Amino acid sequence: MGTLTILIRSGSMMNMDANVAVELANAALDKGHGVKIFCYGEGVTLAKEGQDPRSFPNIEEEMAKLISRGAEVVICSTCSTARGMKMGEEMEGATVGSLTNDLSRFISESDRLVTLAR
Amino acid sequence: MSGDLLTIITKQPYGSEDAYAGMRLSLGIAVSGLIAGSAVLLMGDGTLNAVASQRSEVLGMPSNLEALQDLMDMDVPVYCVEEDLRARAGIVETLDGVTMLGIEEVGNLVSRFHMVTTF
Repeated sequence: MGTLTILIRSGSMMNMDANVAVELANAALDKGHGVKIFCYGEGVTLAKEGQDPRSFPNIEEEMAKLISRGAEVVICSTCSTARGMKMGEEMEGATVGSLTNDLSRFISESDRLVTLAR
Repeated sequence: MSGDLLTIITKQPYGSEDAYAGMRLSLGIAVSGLIAGSAVLLMGDGTLNAVASQRSEVLGMPSNLEALQDLMDMDVPVYCVEEDLRARAGIVETLDGVTMLGIEEVGNLVSRFHMVTTF
């Protein structure tokens, strides 16, 4: 089995990239692959705690399911700080990390990298 | 160290953070010590990031030119598709150290990398 890294750069409510990321991650997990998700730029909002969309799918809940299935989720510290997202505002199970330590590790441990952005 | 990453930048400097974010990502990968190689390829509108006369201070934005220089200072190769730049800006001076290549060379460059991401 392989490992897939998803680099997501769109925000949770910007477009359907977040939904695609969730579906892609679930499909990979279904097949027994490892999944790592790095949230970069606006993508950090995928892992923000307390999302409450009224009419759209709740990406936080979907991300929580992925984490419970073994997906590793890291959000970029610089990007989240730039957007006023404080330490502790990340959803449970996600960690705040960096390009240097975490995305680099993800890439070194992965067989495929998929970037989602518009 | 294992693997390597090519970051393809197709977005123009300024107007969105994409190009700058791509350069910073490539730099972060390069200094990690975990990845064998990191490089940047400027294509399409992304080639405008290499134009030497850009003046980010007019916009009050961080300089994409300096971000490119930071990459080269860390020995990250920066490639630029010459035809794409000429089509958009004509004959212009580019940042020293940027390697111009023809569109026919892009396939070979991409195939040399384990992973590719786009901005």
